Amino acid sequence: MDLYQFKYAFRQRLSFLLFLIIVTFIILIIKFFYLQIIQFNTYSSLAKNNSVKIIPIAPIRGQILDRNGEILAANKLIYTLELDPKRKQSLDNIKLQLAPIVKITKYDIKKYNKILRESYHSSTIPIKVNLSPVQVANFVSSQYKYPNISLKHKFSRTYPKQKSGAHFVGYINRINNSDIKRLKKLNNYQSYRGLDHIGKTGIEYFYENILHGTPGYKAIEVDANNNVLRIIETIAPKHGDDIYLNIDYKIQKVAEKAFGKYKGAMIAMDPNNGEILAYISQPSFNPNLFTNGIDEVNWRRLNNSIHKPLFNRVISGVYPPGSTLKPFVALAALENNIRRPPFSIMDEGFYNMPNQSKTFNDWKKGGHGEVDMIKAIAVSCDTFFYGLGVELGIPKLNVVLQRFGFGSKTNIDLPNEKKGLVASAKWKKNKYNKKWYQGETAITAIGQGYTQTTPVQLALATSKLINPNKKIIPHLLKDDISPKFMRSANINRVSVPNQNLSIIKKGMSLVTKEGGTAAFIGRTTEYNISAKTGTAQVFGLKKGEVYDEKNLRDELKDHALIIAFAPSENPKIVIAIVVENGGHGGSTAGPIAKKVFDAYLTENN
Amino acid sequence: MKMIKYLKIFENIDRFLITLILFLLIIGLITLSSASQQNNSLLVGQLINISLGIIFLVFLSNINPKQFILYAPHIYIFSLILLISVSFFGFESHGAKRWLNLFIFNLQPSEVIKITIPLVLAWLYHRFQNTINYKTHAMAFFILAIPCSIIFKQPDLGTSILIFLSGLIVIFLSGLSLKFILASIFSFLVSMPFLWSTLHLYQQNRILSLLDPGRDPFGTGYHSIQSMIAIGSGGLLGKGWSYGSQTQLNFLPEKTTDFIFSVYGEEFGFVGVVGILIIYFVILYRCIYLAIRMQDTFSRLITAALAFTLFSSSIVNIAMVSGLLPIVGAPLPFISYGGTSMVVSLSMIGIIMSLNSNKSLIAN
Repeated sequence: MDLYQFKYAFRQRLSFLLFLIIVTFIILIIKFFYLQIIQFNTYSSLAKNNSVKIIPIAPIRGQILDRNGEILAANKLIYTLELDPKRKQSLDNIKLQLAPIVKITKYDIKKYNKILRESYHSSTIPIKVNLSPVQVANFVSSQYKYPNISLKHKFSRTYPKQKSGAHFVGYINRINNSDIKRLKKLNNYQSYRGLDHIGKTGIEYFYENILHGTPGYKAIEVDANNNVLRIIETIAPKHGDDIYLNIDYKIQKVAEKAFGKYKGAMIAMDPNNGEILAYISQPSFNPNLFTNGIDEVNWRRLNNSIHKPLFNRVISGVYPPGSTLKPFVALAALENNIRRPPFSIMDEGFYNMPNQSKTFNDWKKGGHGEVDMIKAIAVSCDTFFYGLGVELGIPKLNVVLQRFGFGSKTNIDLPNEKKGLVASAKWKKNKYNKKWYQGETAITAIGQGYTQTTPVQLALATSKLINPNKKIIPHLLKDDISPKFMRSANINRVSVPNQNLSIIKKGMSLVTKEGGTAAFIGRTTEYNISAKTGTAQVFGLKKGEVYDEKNLRDELKDHALIIAFAPSENPKIVIAIVVENGGHGGSTAGPIAKKVFDAYLTENN
Repeated sequence: MKMIKYLKIFENIDRFLITLILFLLIIGLITLSSASQQNNSLLVGQLINISLGIIFLVFLSNINPKQFILYAPHIYIFSLILLISVSFFGFESHGAKRWLNLFIFNLQPSEVIKITIPLVLAWLYHRFQNTINYKTHAMAFFILAIPCSIIFKQPDLGTSILIFLSGLIVIFLSGLSLKFILASIFSFLVSMPFLWSTLHLYQQNRILSLLDPGRDPFGTGYHSIQSMIAIGSGGLLGKGWSYGSQTQLNFLPEKTTDFIFSVYGEEFGFVGVVGILIIYFVILYRCIYLAIRMQDTFSRLITAALAFTLFSSSIVNIAMVSGLLPIVGAPLPFISYGGTSMVVSLSMIGIIMSLNSNKSLIAN
C-alpha cells in the first residue's frame, strides 16, 4: 500500500467513523429528549414525591438431592397469615378477630414477638404459619373482615427424610443479627433482600451461595398512602441452584438401620476420590423444627440433652482411636525399620517398661503367643505395640500420623470441623506444664493416649492406606453435577514404600479371617474385607479394678470403633465407625460395617 | 523581549480548541460545586487536578513529535509495568483493583493506557508505513490485547472495552480490510467461552452484575433508576444550579464522579445537555480537522485516535447515566472529579497540539 492509497483510505475511514459518531450523537439527543421532554411529567412527579419503592422478589432456594436424585431438602408451598409490624396492632385483638378461622396460640404470639425482636424482616411477620386448606378457604371467603391481615403463600424449607441425614444436610433458620453482621462483612447483604432465611449448619450453610439464589425486584411508584400507581420495572429473581450430593440414600438407610439406637458416628466413603456415600451422627434431630423458628420447648430439649443430638459427631466428635491407630503406628515403625517381619515377640499378656517402672497388660489374658507385626494387627496385640511404641519414640510416630492427616482438618465441605489432636511432649508441656513419660508413648501406640481423632479423619487416613498417591478430600458435593466449589486438599500425597503398605494391608485383611478380631464378619461374606477394630476406654480403671461390662453404667462403657475397606484387593468403599459406649469394636461396629458393605457392593455389582 | 520569550511556550496552543476545553472545565467545576454541595476541599482538589492537567498540556504541546515516535515503545512498556504492578500493589475500590497508591496521589494506570495505546499503535504503523500488511495488523492486535486482558482481569470491563475500542480505531484507520475486522470480531465472540472459563467465580459474578444490573437490584439497578429520574425531572430548562432535588437529597450515587452528568442534566435541563453534547462534538470535529491537515501517518493516526478515544469515553458515560448502557465505572472526561482522568484527558489534547504545530517537521 503506498502513501497515496493510505491517505485515501484514511480519509474514507475517518468519514465513516465520523458518521458513526453523528449517529450515536443523535441517539443520545433522542434519549434525552425522551427523558426530559416527553417523560418529564412522570419523572418530575417521581422526583417530587420521591415515591419509588423497590420491592424485592424472593428467589426459590435450590433443593438438596442425593446422587440418585432422591430429595433430601425441598421447598413446599405453605400459607401464612401475616401482620405489618409498622401498624402496631394489638395481638389480643388479632387473636380475637381470627378466632373463628384459626386459633392463635400463646406459642404463636411468642414466636411473632421473637421474630419482631431478634430477626431481620423485610415487610410483614407471620402470626400463623402452615394453614390448612380449609383455613385458607375460610379466610379468603371472609377476607373483607381482615384488612389488616394478609394471607401470603411462600415456599417453606422441608426435609422429607426428617432425622435421617440431618447432620450433613443441615437446616435453615431465620436470619438473625449475627448473620447480618457476617453478611455485611462478606459484602453480600444485598442479595438477602426479601429473604428471611439462611443456611445455619451442614450443606445448607456450606453451600449457601449456590442454594440461595439472587432476589429480583419490582420498582413501583406509590402515592402518599402507599397505593401502587404503576410498575416502573420488574427484574425476575434468579433462583438458587440444586445441589447433588455423593450420598447414596439407599446406603444411608441401610447404615442407619444397622446403626440402630446406638450413639456414635459413621462415615462411608469411596477411597478413590473421597466421595462420601453415607454419613451418620446419632442421636439425630428433626431439622424441620428449625425452618420457621424453633420453639423454646424443642430447643431446650435438643440443646440440653446429655446425648447431644445437635452435635455433629463425624466431624466435630474427637475420640481416642483405640486400636484403629495401630496400622498407622505399624507403618511408622516400618518406615524406621523397627520390628519389620519376620521379627516377632513372645507375648505372655503383658509388657514391662524398659526400666521396669510399669507394667502394661494386653487386652487378652495370657497373651497371644508368638506375634509378628502382621499377626499383631490381626489379633490387635497390645503387647507388641507397647514395645514398638517405646522403641520408636513419640516424635517419629507423630511424623507419620500427621502425614496421614491426623491432627489437621480434612477440609470436608461442612462447617465446624475439628482438628483432633496428635499429642507430643511439646503439647503436653504447653497444656499441663508436665513432662512426657515413656509410658505415655506406649499407650499412645495402642491409641489410648492423649491422641484423638474424628471419624472423618479415620476414614481419610484409611483411604490414604489404599491410595497414598492420590489427593483425597472427603466431600459431599457431587462435583460433576453441581457447580464447582471445592476446597483444596489439606493432606497431600503420602509417599509410603509399597512393601511397607502390603505388610499393613496383609495384617488388616487377616482381621476378618479366623483368629482375627472381627473374624465373624468375614465368615459369611463372599468378598474380602480388610479392617482394624478398636476399643477405646472411656474411663481409666483404678488399680485392682476389673472391667466388668455387664455391670457398668452405659455411659461408662468403652467406645467401639472400626475402620474397614472392601473388597480387600480392589477397595471401593471405606468406612469408619465409632459406637459410643458400644463395647468391643469387632462385635458392635463390625456388623454395621458389614451391612453397609453388603448393600454397597452387591448393589453396584 | 522577555515577555515574548515567556509567551513562546504557549505558541503551539490551538486557540479554538483550548477555548472549548476551558469552557467544558468551567462547566465541570460549576456542576461539581453543586454535586458536592459546595464542598470546598473537593473543589480545591479538582482545581489542582486541572492545573496539573494544564501544565501537562502545555508541556506536551512543546514536545517535538519526533520524541513521541522515539519513545512510544518505552512509554508503552512503562505503562504496562504500571498496569501489572496494580495487580500486585494496587488497592481495591468499588469491586475492582485499579488504583495504585503513590502516597501523594492515587494513580489509575488503566486511564494512562488510554494515551499509550494510540501512541504505540501509531508508532507501529508509522514504522512500517511502506509495508503495512497482515503481519503489522496482527502485531497491533497483540500489542492491544495485553493491556486489555490485564484490565479485563481487574476486573474493569468498561475500561477494557474502551481501550480495546481506541486501539481498534487506530487499526481501522490504518486500513485493515473490513473483512478481516469482521472476522476478528467473530473469532473474539467465539473465543469468549474460553476467556470466560479462565476467570474466577467471583470475577465472573462481578462481570455478570455489570452486564445485568438485575443481579444487583439494590445497587446498580437502583442507581440507574435514580439517575434517570434526576435527568428526566430536569425537563427542558433544568431546575437551576444547586436546585436539583435528586442531587441535593442524595438519591444519586457517585454524583461527583461517574454520575456527574445526571447532576448536570437535572440542573441544566435538555438545553444544557444538548449544549454540552455540541461542545464535545465540536472538540472532536476540530481534532479531526487538524488530523486531516497533518502531513504524516503518525500524526494523523494519533490525533484521530486520541480524539475518538476521548469522545467515546464521553459517549459511554453519558449513555450509561441515561440508561442506554449498563452501569460500568467510567468517568466523564473534563467534567468528572478525578486526577488521573483529568490529567490524561488534558495530556491527550496537549499531544494533539504538538502534532499540529510541528506538522512540517516529520513530513516524509
